[in-house]
Amino acid sequence: MTEVQVRDLTIEYQTSAGWLPAVAGASLDLRAGEITGLVGESGSGKSTLALALLNAVPEPGRVAAGSVEVAGVGDVLSLSGKQLRKVRGGELGYVFQASQNSMNPLKTIGKQLLDLGRSHEVKDLRALIARAKDLANRMGMDGDRVLDSYQHQLSGGMRQRIGIVFALVLNAKVLILDEPTTALDMLSQAAVLDIVRTVHDENQLSTLIITHDIGAISEIADRLAVMYGGRIVEDGPLLDVLRRPTHPYTRALIGATARITGDVDAARALPGRPPDLTTVARVGCVFRDRCPFAVTACADTEPPLVVGEAGRRRACHVEPSTVLSGTPGTPAAVGGQP
Amino acid sequence: MAATAALSTRLRNRRPALNAFRKAVTRKPGRLIGLGIILFFVLLAICGPWFYGSLAVDPNAIYAAPSADHWLGTDFAGSDVFQEVVVGARYVLSTAALAALFTSVLGITVGLLAGYHRGFLDSALMRVTDFVLTIPGLPLLIILSTVWSFGSPWQMGLVLGLTGWGGVARAVRSQALTLRERGFLEAARGLGLPSRHIIVKELLPNIAPYVAMHLLLSVIAFIGAEVGLFFLGLVPFSSTNWGVMLNQAVFSGGAMNSPDALVYLLSPLVCILLLTLGIVLFLDAIDELFNPRLRERA
Amino acid sequence: MTGFARRLAGKLLAGLVMVWVVVTFTFFLVHALPGKPGDVQYESYIMQGFNPEEARAKVTAVYGFTSHDPLFSQYLGYLGRLLHGDLGQSVYYSGVPVSHLIWSALPWTVLPVLTGLLVSFLIGVIAGVIAAVKRSSRWGGLLSVSGSLVAGVPSFVLALLLLLVFHTEWHLLPDAGTSDITLEPGWSPEYVGSVVQHAVLPVISYALLSYGGWLLAMKSSVITVLGDDFILASELRGLAPVTRARYIGRNAILPLFTVLALSFGIMFAGSFFIEQTFDYPGLGELLLKSIGVRDYPVMAGAFLLITVAIIAANIVADLCYTLIDPRVRR
Repeated sequence: MTEVQVRDLTIEYQTSAGWLPAVAGASLDLRAGEITGLVGESGSGKSTLALALLNAVPEPGRVAAGSVEVAGVGDVLSLSGKQLRKVRGGELGYVFQASQNSMNPLKTIGKQLLDLGRSHEVKDLRALIARAKDLANRMGMDGDRVLDSYQHQLSGGMRQRIGIVFALVLNAKVLILDEPTTALDMLSQAAVLDIVRTVHDENQLSTLIITHDIGAISEIADRLAVMYGGRIVEDGPLLDVLRRPTHPYTRALIGATARITGDVDAARALPGRPPDLTTVARVGCVFRDRCPFAVTACADTEPPLVVGEAGRRRACHVEPSTVLSGTPGTPAAVGGQP
Repeated sequence: MAATAALSTRLRNRRPALNAFRKAVTRKPGRLIGLGIILFFVLLAICGPWFYGSLAVDPNAIYAAPSADHWLGTDFAGSDVFQEVVVGARYVLSTAALAALFTSVLGITVGLLAGYHRGFLDSALMRVTDFVLTIPGLPLLIILSTVWSFGSPWQMGLVLGLTGWGGVARAVRSQALTLRERGFLEAARGLGLPSRHIIVKELLPNIAPYVAMHLLLSVIAFIGAEVGLFFLGLVPFSSTNWGVMLNQAVFSGGAMNSPDALVYLLSPLVCILLLTLGIVLFLDAIDELFNPRLRERA
Repeated sequence: MTGFARRLAGKLLAGLVMVWVVVTFTFFLVHALPGKPGDVQYESYIMQGFNPEEARAKVTAVYGFTSHDPLFSQYLGYLGRLLHGDLGQSVYYSGVPVSHLIWSALPWTVLPVLTGLLVSFLIGVIAGVIAAVKRSSRWGGLLSVSGSLVAGVPSFVLALLLLLVFHTEWHLLPDAGTSDITLEPGWSPEYVGSVVQHAVLPVISYALLSYGGWLLAMKSSVITVLGDDFILASELRGLAPVTRARYIGRNAILPLFTVLALSFGIMFAGSFFIEQTFDYPGLGELLLKSIGVRDYPVMAGAFLLITVAIIAANIVADLCYTLIDPRVRR
């Protein structure tokens, strides 16, 4: 069952050069029981996309087109005021990029949970606290102690887990985690990802994990979506995409990660810099400047995101087999569309 | 590595700072007006006295109303108020400038020494700074006014500077510590630069604009304090300046109750107000350069 | 709570050391000042037409108890008496204890200062919030500039302008003193009314004096907090607007405790000008008068009291901060 349907989502930011798209025509489904990993370099628009799921695109941005349908709620982008507020934290649980500092430093965790409950007009606050403690206990913390603590008394990994408690305590069906492991050491990273997997399975959630670390995500996700320059360029079942990346960018991304290839010497950094709002190509494929497979069509036609076999999608002019074989510059690839 | 790279870029182009400054100033008309007001008073202080060698006294026109001869009227002795304002600007501004000079020399030296060396020297210097900051400056000045005569801008400026360097020292130190934390100093040392070079060529330029902001703020306070001392009548009236005018107008001229002396009272008041406004408007630009968070969206 | 007690003790100790340094400093400063206590009096007798011997004799009669001990033993004696709360005796009002003079002047400074502080805090903090939230609009910008301007303009300029408008132009409020001199001091409605009426302009002056500081500090504090992660987090968790406003408010107001101590110092400095302008018999005027007649003990006492008040304000501000911020409490 599809919990969240993102359709043709375009988000623009106002810059000195006018309104520029940070996310362009993105479509994505989050299904119950599935963890989706959304991978991309910084500036690829992945965090903006995640915030748009809560209709919370920050100033000076705006949603220019598209919809975000959440099961049982409707189009989140058309909500406002109290309705929107109830969906945030209610149906949609969000764990922050800077979850390290996502609590009010002057209040204990427990009091902030009560604030959350009151804001969402929860009748039985005692049950809410009990559920929070239960969640905390199941994530390997002492619930009583944690709820009596201030943020500064908790370690980074604990704060991250508390962030998940806040996201789930109101029985959200959709869990969105923005860079959940970035600020943590390797051990805490593994622990937090384990916990995400556990709570996800226990609650039959639809989980979206946003990260730049394809290595970390490859350990727990079911599906993988890759973003570049504001576009989703490829997605599909995780293992399939990892084994057979058919978009040059995905291929490069995997090649740059020793953790997946298992061979540090083979890991190669992608040449060039990721584009930002102002430098991303307006015409043609956004990746062509760094793409070893680029053909003439890439310069003037933007490849659409096309559905392929086995739940895969890709946006590339070059034949999948060419990308897989890894021999760039083959003339036969010109104009090739699946 | 990143810090070294940042350092070398900074070494290569110093112009961008100037450009950013120009942009910040010209971005809002208020800031230009502020700069204009400051420049106007500076010019007044430098050039004004050239036109008026000595005060013309016209005993036949005491508390005369403004006229073509006396643009702002005359005072109790028949002196031209406009002339007094112009001549008075020199004392007020040169004192403030000298005080700022002494403050910055003392404050920067102490701040840099403390921030660069840390350890015992740091804590000792900061104790002294705390002390200077805690002692209420104005009452101290008032007591000191009985010892020193503040007739020359040098003396007044020195004393103001001596009481006012604490804030700058602390600001410079914290800024130096921040730069240290960002690996700036290590990078410079890694390049094999001697510490004199690091302090003078690297730390100082980075701290300068920050100091400028604190200095402008303290200049406002200095003007208030020096004019205030004359207004209170604590300092012998050895020179013409705005504070003396205020004192005469309020306590001898009875400006509060007689309309005759009103212009005499208002002239220095308006000058102080204008000058403060100019500095405040201009500060806005410098503030923006340092607190990008305050920067408004274009 | 033991951590809190230890912090309190540490602060008090540091404060006491500071007070001792100031006492020492003041003592030697005052004794380094030129001109013996009787000089001014002596000159005024000469001006009144007495011949030098007569004037000398009169001055000796009045100031006869001036100590001739070595400076250091005078200092020790001074310290010892200070410990018993004895600030010495006025030279000018021969024999009147300094503490008595200070006690009678104190309320006329402290009450207007505190009232002004309260008023300016309320208005300044609210204005600061508005200035922060509306910082990209014209009104927000104007509000900020008004704050900087009022903070920058010397207190006597403000006081004189107030006097010009409310007394000279509109004849609304009196210009000098603490009450109508024809009224008998007491709890009669007329007298209290008159005191309040006379206090309005000084209080407004004090309020204006610190208004700008509150505004600017609150503005930058609110802007900082608005950019904090947990505020965005609370929005994305769907917290009620009231709750979020409370979160912002409490976090933004914390740093203002440093401003409190600062304001106190500014207010005391301003008291000289404001009391002089409105002819108000507070501490500032006492110090000014004592300087005019070279009344050392009063000078030293008033200066000491002002310094102690500022040190105390620093400690109180720091403790308030500690009580509110759990990160420091520990």
